[in-house]
This record gives sequence, C-alpha cells and structure tokens, in this order.
Amino acid sequence: MTAIETAAGPGRRLEWRLAEVRDIVVETSRVKSLVLRITGWAGHLPGQHVDIRLTAEDGYQAQRSYSIASPPEDELLALTVEHVADGEVSPYLVGDLHAGDQFELRGPIGGYFVWTVATRGPLCLIAGGSGIVPLMAMLRHRARRKVRTPALLLYSSRSLEDVIYREELKVMARRDPDLRVINTLTRRQPEGWTGRRGRIDKALLAKACFPPEQTPKSFVCGPTPFVENVSRLLVELGHDPLTVKTERFGPSGG
Amino acid sequence: MDKSPISRGFRSKRQEQTPKDRLPPGQYVTRDFPILSAGPTPQSKVENWNFALQFGGSLLGQWNWAEFEALPQTTIKTDIHCVTKWSKLDTTWQGVTFDDLLKAVSLAKPRAAYIMAHCDGGYTTNVPVADLVGGQGMIATRYQGLPILPAHGGPARLLVPHLYFWKSAKWVRRLRFMEKDERGFWESLGYHNYGDPWKEQRYDGD
Amino acid sequence: MIENGSDLVLDGNAAAGLLQEIFVLEITTAQIQCEKCHSVVAVGSLRLYAAPMGAVLRCNQCDSILMRAVHTPHSRWLEMAGARCLRFS
Repeated sequence: MTAIETAAGPGRRLEWRLAEVRDIVVETSRVKSLVLRITGWAGHLPGQHVDIRLTAEDGYQAQRSYSIASPPEDELLALTVEHVADGEVSPYLVGDLHAGDQFELRGPIGGYFVWTVATRGPLCLIAGGSGIVPLMAMLRHRARRKVRTPALLLYSSRSLEDVIYREELKVMARRDPDLRVINTLTRRQPEGWTGRRGRIDKALLAKACFPPEQTPKSFVCGPTPFVENVSRLLVELGHDPLTVKTERFGPSGG
Repeated sequence: MDKSPISRGFRSKRQEQTPKDRLPPGQYVTRDFPILSAGPTPQSKVENWNFALQFGGSLLGQWNWAEFEALPQTTIKTDIHCVTKWSKLDTTWQGVTFDDLLKAVSLAKPRAAYIMAHCDGGYTTNVPVADLVGGQGMIATRYQGLPILPAHGGPARLLVPHLYFWKSAKWVRRLRFMEKDERGFWESLGYHNYGDPWKEQRYDGD
Repeated sequence: MIENGSDLVLDGNAAAGLLQEIFVLEITTAQIQCEKCHSVVAVGSLRLYAAPMGAVLRCNQCDSILMRAVHTPHSRWLEMAGARCLRFS
C-alpha cells in the first residue's frame, strides 16, 4: 500500500505543513480529537506522532508533539489531545480551537513505536491514561484491515469518565472475537462496577497477556513511571525485551 | 514555508502575566519551580558528601558536610532565570559564598580566572571567577529555608543567579580553577559560553 | 519538543523530531551501541533527559550518555561520543 511504504521510507525530510481543522470530537471532559486536513500529507504508520507549531500574532511560537489517533486508512488525520492544567498549548487546542483554524504540523515521526498488520504474532497493547492514543491508531488499523491477529488491550484509567474511546472500544471488542479489551480503573469506580480496579500489576499481566511462548508484540504507552514499571514486569514474566516497545509520555501523560 | 501562519486566537498565556521591568527579555514569570535535568537525580547522602576547591592536581581545600555547614553562612533573596524562558522572582537561598570559600582556604586572590563546576552525575559548567566573587556566587544548601531537595540539586548546588540558571549547577561537588576557559556540558553543545539573561545570551552566536 | 520546563523523562521517540532534522535515515529504529557497557538497543527506547534544552539520550543499562543534540536558532549540534556505533537497517 503506497501510503504505508512512503511513510516508512528513509530519506523523506520533515517539513512543516499546513493543517486545517475540519472537525472537533469531544472524547471526555478533558480530551478532544482534532480532525485535520493536511497539505501534502503522504500517510503514516500506526503509532507515529506529529509535531505541531502554533504562532501567535506577535510572532511567539510554541511547539508540541501529539500521537496520531487515526489509522492510515482514514483520509483525514486525527490527533487526540488531553487538556493539561496550566498548559500553554493544550488549553488552546481543547478550549479555543474551531473548525477552520490552522496551524503548522510536521510528520509522521518515529518508526520505532509502530505496528502494522504485516507484523506477525499476537498484539499486546498496554495503555496508561492518554497513552491509549497511539495504541488506538494500531487497533483502528487492525479493524479496518479486518485481520484476525489476536489482540489484547489492557487500559488503565483513573475513572470511567476518563476512558477515552470508551464506546468505540466496546463496539470493537463486541464485533471482534479475536480482540479482548480489559479496562482497569485506578481511582474511582462507578456504582456496581464489576470490572478491574487498581493499577496494572504483575498478577494481572500474567493472567491477561499472551504467554511469552506465543511471542506477542507488546506496546506500552503512558506516563513514564507506568511505562517503566509495566515493561519491567513483562520482562520479569519472561517476555523478550526486544518484543516490548515503549513510549513514555512524561508525568502528565502527554 | 517562509512565514508561519498565525493560529487564530493563540496567545502565550505566560507572557500575559509579565511584570516587564523585572524580567530579562523573552522571559515569563512562573510560580512553580520546573525541574530540568540532563540525567537521573543523584541520591547523594550528606554522610558521604564532600566538596572541594581544586587547582591543577592539588586540592586547595576539602570539606565534609559538617565542616561545610560550619563555614560562614549567607542568605540571599534573588530572581532566577532559566534559558527555557521561565523566571522565578524573590527566591531565597542560603549557603557559603565563593568569597568565604576563598577566605577559608586563605586565598587572598583566586588562583586563576575561570572555574569549572563538577557535579554528581557528570554535569559541568564553566563560570568566570569575576562572576563569582563579590557575593555573586555561592554554594547553596538551603532553598526557602529548607534543605534543597535532590530533584532541585541537593545537597548542594552552585548558585550564580545573574547568569542563566543552567550555570547554577545542581549536585556540585568540586570547583576547579582553570587558567584558560573551557566549555562545560551545555556550552560545548550550542549554548552561550557566558549566558547573560539581560543580553539574552542563550545560544552560541547570540 | 516537549512541554516547557516540566520534570520529564521521556524516550528516543520524543527526540525523533529533533534528531530527524539531522539524520536522513529513520533514527528511532536505528540500533545504538553503548561505548561503556556495549549494550545495544533501538534509539527509540533510550531514556531522554533535558528535553526543553535539547536531547540527552542515556544508556538504559549504565546511564552513560550516548547522544546529545541541540537545535539553536543558529545551528544544530550533535554529539555521539558515548556511542560506539549506530546501525540503520
């Protein structure tokens, strides 16, 4: 598929392009997805991110990185942004931005934290908070290509209201017998919650994940302490470190 | 793209709160205390801590924690300016001034014109001695009256607040006199050799 | 580039924008060997420090610095004294 090949190929210089907001989707009380049309966009791989740059009227500029939430099969690019308290950029993106607004964007960036349906082996995705975003691009790609690769998403959130893509994940799992989605809520659980509570620990990983003998490809994304803890536990459980890929978002989760 | 398109309605929130007369160009005031490190935070215990003044191969002076705490203490209130554009006003620090260190080793005059600060974790930064004497520089052990937290450079950090804050080296262990200036960690990778915030000397070539 | 002035440890993925201004080939998948302890990992998995000032990438095993990079208004700097080699596949 041309879009995937050119995005992966070496020698493409990163240039700033114009992105125009086509739609804004509310995901949770603090999270929105921005749907963008980008001049000259040549495609991307699930897991990659972009840099965006905002310029104020006085010339002041701010730059941030965001993971791509949409699969390469989509015509428009989607970024999912969480409002960071006292942030400079995310309050603008989540609060002020309208359809029709423009900013600069470059990408796709990063070939390490990437998965496509061409990769063999079961897929194990572990997300903390907004770490779900690049993993969602992988799941959406998998669903669009209708492949039967066994897949697991283990997704840790503070509360049910903080689960991003909640409905979409429910529907995806219902439609796909080869996909398991396990949510765990660490701080608050709703009345009658029968799902998991508390942080992801070794016992949960041992129980839920594909065993090492099946050589799953694991992707762990979220705040740095979360990522370092989970990846360490996976290695302790016998997973080859080379099959465990990590993306650290820092304390705020991106 | 020759000129970046303006993002409608985007403004730097931080610059709105700026009291202009006290801030060097390009800075904004922050109420928190951001942490930036080039490596993991060393967890140095004061029982094992020592600090040295060095010239060439010889130690001009060395102090363990108790000895260092027994040196004359000075408290200052000052503003600090990070090259990443945040400034923090009216911060209070306590420690031993560079002048008092020289007195402690009976040096009427500094041994050379420059020093390199060496720190736990390998960080270095160079400062002209002329910018340390006369009360301009100290080895600080307290921030706002409390021991400096490891994440903020404790047990002790160099404090040279009239220069960009990367010069106020965290986890300092040794000041080495140099006859010729040498560039430290950031100075050797594109940052300005001197770093005067009032002249906005952030990068080499500014 | 990351949130300004925050207490962050990220990884080579976050440095990719900065590094990709210098490298023609995809850098996060390149294998890098530590000069000190000889361990080999993908650049994308290295711990990244000092992000607002530049990129300081350290060995996950021994913490020694493998790569340092800074983008100033005047130039781009790259130092790799702590790396024995980089392998791009």
